[in-house]
Amino acid sequence: MSDKGGKGGKSALKSPDGSAKLKGRKVQFDSEDMFDEKFETNGNGKSNGKDSGKGKGGKAGPAKKEPPQVLLKVEEELPENAKCLMNCEAAQILQGIQDHMVLLSKDPTIKIPSSFDRALQYANTGNFYTDPQSVRQVLESLKKQDVSDGEICVIANTGIDTTEKAFALMPSLKAKQIKVIEPLSAALTELTKLKESTIVLD
Amino acid sequence: MFFHIVLERNMQLHPRHFGRDLREKLVSKLMKDVEGTCSGRHGFVVAITGIENVGKGLIRDGTGFVTFPVKYQCVVFRPFKGEILEAVVSMVNKMGFFAEAGPVQIFVSNHLIPDDMEFQSGDMPNYTTSDGSVKIQKDSEVRLKIIGTRVDATEIFCIGTIKDDFLGVISDPGTTS
Repeated sequence: MSDKGGKGGKSALKSPDGSAKLKGRKVQFDSEDMFDEKFETNGNGKSNGKDSGKGKGGKAGPAKKEPPQVLLKVEEELPENAKCLMNCEAAQILQGIQDHMVLLSKDPTIKIPSSFDRALQYANTGNFYTDPQSVRQVLESLKKQDVSDGEICVIANTGIDTTEKAFALMPSLKAKQIKVIEPLSAALTELTKLKESTIVLD
Repeated sequence: MFFHIVLERNMQLHPRHFGRDLREKLVSKLMKDVEGTCSGRHGFVVAITGIENVGKGLIRDGTGFVTFPVKYQCVVFRPFKGEILEAVVSMVNKMGFFAEAGPVQIFVSNHLIPDDMEFQSGDMPNYTTSDGSVKIQKDSEVRLKIIGTRVDATEIFCIGTIKDDFLGVISDPGTTS
């Protein structure tokens, strides 16, 4: 302990509880400073007091500044040759790979990494549709209204069924609300028909 | 979010693998080397779905190894800021909770949990509303929004929020069991 102080024996007396380690460092925890600098954020989420679909109204402090909205900008961050996949499409591809894994590789040392299993499980959990092609067809029509691939995938992956939910969950979509609302409403109605009847959402 | 993408990698192969099975050996090595890895730009490489092209090999000076440029298609998983994910809660503590969506781990701080949800300690720590109608505990499914990401050499960590409209618990293991 006394070695840490750096000022001989006195430091041990000054910091019997080991607080010398923290000397000179002020640590604060609040909603503004809570993120590690390494985290890339452009805001800490909207906290307007309205919370989860099931929760009651929050008590967000009125004095707090409204943080900037986090917009989905998939296209800006990905290379051109990347194509977004909906969970239902990914589930189909990954399931196919798992089924044919033995045929694909004769090398017994190749093991399926744990990330594959977790990804497949996740894709299956967020898979509300039995026919990915139909879902893609329905949602592709929204591209004419400048709905991005990323937004299309979020719509499919979350299984949202109303335009209200879509606009609330994706602020980027809300900016195009006027021209999108009608085709989106029609698409969501189509998706509801395609949705697996076994899965009941909140 | 999942993506289908074409990537390229220079594969080094030992001369003992040269022969009729060279291509198969290359693909096997590629799968071993690439699947399950993680990069900041592309995220987790979940699975290789096809080989686009294997280029001409180049002998490395001083060694017998030959480098082949291989173009391959793969499925990757990468979380994005602003993305809505449905994740399974893996751990709850007074600082917040951790949830998993595929290979990605997301931390939701207690600052980003609705204010009317309070931490309850005990055998099964949880966040519960004052009327007890909504509970977040281990194995609960939550819909959250990613607000920050940090990429490590082997993992991607995210910060999420459930403090917004239509976010929060979508299935509670306590109610189904």
